[in-house]
Amino acid sequence: MGDQRRHRVLMVSDFFYPNFGGVENHIYYLAQCLLKLGHKVVVLTHAYGNRSGVRYVTGGLKVYYVPWRPFFMQNTFPTIYGTLPIVRTILIRERITIVHGHQAFSTLCHEALMHARTMGYKVVFTDHSLYGFADAGSIHMNKVLQFTLADVSQAICVSHTSKENTVLRSGLPPEKVFVIPNAVDTAMFKPADERPSREEIVIVVISRLVYRKGADLLVEVIPEVCRLNPNVRFIIGGDGPKRVRLEEMREKHSLQDRVEMLGAVPHAQVRSVLIRGHIFLNSSLTEAFCIAILEAASCGLLTVSTRVGGVPEVLPDDMIVLAEPDPSDMVEAIQKAITMLPKIDLQVMHNRMTELYNWHDVAKRTEIVYDCALKCSSQSLLQRLSRYLSCGAWAGKLFCLVMIVGFLLWQLLELWQPADDIEGVPDVALSENYVEDELQKTQ
Amino acid sequence: MDCSGSGISSPHRPKWRKVAYGGMQPGFADNHTDESFLEQMVMNASVVKRDMLKVMLDSVSISEYLCIVALVVLVWTYTLTSTLDENSLLLLDVSLLVSGFLILLFTQEMLSLTLLLRYFLNISFFITGLYVLAPIYHTLTRSISSDSIWAVTSSLLLLHLFLHDYSESTVKAPGAMKNPSLTSCISVNASVVASVFIASRLPSRLHVFALVLFSLQVFLFAPLVTYCIKKYSFLLHLCFSISLMIMTLGFVYMLHHLLFVLLLSLLVFVNVVCPYWLIRIQEYKFEIHGPWDEAKLCFDITDSD
Repeated sequence: MGDQRRHRVLMVSDFFYPNFGGVENHIYYLAQCLLKLGHKVVVLTHAYGNRSGVRYVTGGLKVYYVPWRPFFMQNTFPTIYGTLPIVRTILIRERITIVHGHQAFSTLCHEALMHARTMGYKVVFTDHSLYGFADAGSIHMNKVLQFTLADVSQAICVSHTSKENTVLRSGLPPEKVFVIPNAVDTAMFKPADERPSREEIVIVVISRLVYRKGADLLVEVIPEVCRLNPNVRFIIGGDGPKRVRLEEMREKHSLQDRVEMLGAVPHAQVRSVLIRGHIFLNSSLTEAFCIAILEAASCGLLTVSTRVGGVPEVLPDDMIVLAEPDPSDMVEAIQKAITMLPKIDLQVMHNRMTELYNWHDVAKRTEIVYDCALKCSSQSLLQRLSRYLSCGAWAGKLFCLVMIVGFLLWQLLELWQPADDIEGVPDVALSENYVEDELQKTQ
Repeated sequence: MDCSGSGISSPHRPKWRKVAYGGMQPGFADNHTDESFLEQMVMNASVVKRDMLKVMLDSVSISEYLCIVALVVLVWTYTLTSTLDENSLLLLDVSLLVSGFLILLFTQEMLSLTLLLRYFLNISFFITGLYVLAPIYHTLTRSISSDSIWAVTSSLLLLHLFLHDYSESTVKAPGAMKNPSLTSCISVNASVVASVFIASRLPSRLHVFALVLFSLQVFLFAPLVTYCIKKYSFLLHLCFSISLMIMTLGFVYMLHHLLFVLLLSLLVFVNVVCPYWLIRIQEYKFEIHGPWDEAKLCFDITDSD
């Protein structure tokens, strides 16, 4: 592969291993596949516990755990300019060409993208979540997003619904927003070798037990389903503030022997829980994409889900039963899924998933976005300021001020520690085979 | 590679589908924006069209309460300037108590002897307690200058007016289910403290007792009484409010001309300008809903969290 086509990408997010979730997964797999395509990828995140400094993970993926402590929901404290020196040094040392930020509520991502723009880098942003427009939290979040995205080269969303949402929130032109969904590691989520018996139907729920994940819906749905079908059992994996309500429901309806509550399930054990079941139930009230559905489908489970956000786009109609987020409709959907069960072949389902979702495909599509970002014309500070100014009567001026101060600080840093004095890092050339082998091992 | 999002045009290209599976859709780039983009967006679905007259009539409750507070302040001023002596103040207390009680009985339509007895018992406890505490109130703020007392009292009254629950009453009729909100509780407390502060400037214990009783009666029970009237008949509420406004304006006019102008302009502002303003800014209301919204649960979550 020619060197000019080789991107040098810095992925920035507050969310990365050892933390676990959809975003972390996405960054990890995307980085691995981009490495395999011959690009250089470096990840920037904040320190987790005593995991601080530079680490190499699988496949020679270099991770900077910058020594900033998270203060709220794994987010670093927003200092606006506090991260400028370290971000600048990393960008120069690694000779980065593209900065790729992930997740709208990661402060580190917003700050790094801002500094990267100040320094004239091309930036790409991936939005992994949906936001409303009505409550105070969303309004402020959306303003911050508008600020970051005002000057982003290209943006990526994980579903078409998410794209609509992001375009509305940030005012980006829709042609700048790409839709590249998540994928699933189908090699890791294989169906059980021997199919579970059909005498008893097991419905699996794996989610954090919080309001947004629809734990209250479960409280209404589970007793009704148990009443209608004497051969149905539930396995609930996950923990959260709503766990007490579910346990109360279990006591109240005497379902102790039919509803098993596992507590939090580590991601490595998710498959072993999934393969015990026949149906996967997702009761989320809002969801941009929902990787859990992919994992379940890859294990051969039939999915029943609420029709919210990007969920209807995730699977073909014959692999998922959708219901309105209303208890009676969900019970009906579960009944329908139970009648569909005999026709489901686990291996066929799994094979279809391998065709539908693939991280390598995601990486190739992301590569196109990087190419597009590099083609964007570079703009002077004044041109960029005018774009910030159009963000709002007051916010626009504030954003401009923030950018000007950032620019001055950058110039100051240039004087104090010229870019030429910062030593570049030699690229550790791992053989193509090595990466291949390692990737195989993780799978 | 195509960064403009138009895709390759060919006569037989398959239709674009709004799905995320199956990789890149043949013939369409990832940044393809279909005609169906934002099709499911709903604008201003839950916006209520407001009627000028309705808003004006609703705002009468606010000016009614403003007048009640103005009347209380008038009574305070007259008592402090010794225009009202303690006997007439006590007479005022008793007449207010009786009339308020009668209004409650007529509008609530639940004359029962036990309830009457309970009311009577509670009120006598309340009055006795107040009488016993009056000497303490009398000397409570002796070391504080009158200016500070006036300043604190007026700010407390402003706080009271700002946080007051104009749609309902903080003190509920017996059997009411909903608990009052925090702001309305703060509002009631501010008014009680203000009355105690003012009462501590008075010359005798009986004065203090009479004035605190009067203020508490009004601040605690006037919202309940007006709320009951409003629930009973809106027309009665309107008549009552307007006569109250005229009465207040008359009394204030006798006290001070500038204050009269101020109160009059405040009432006009609340009853005419604000409703008009609300209707005008209604045009700028812009709500969007779509598939990205968090689903609302259609049943009550019965637990406390």
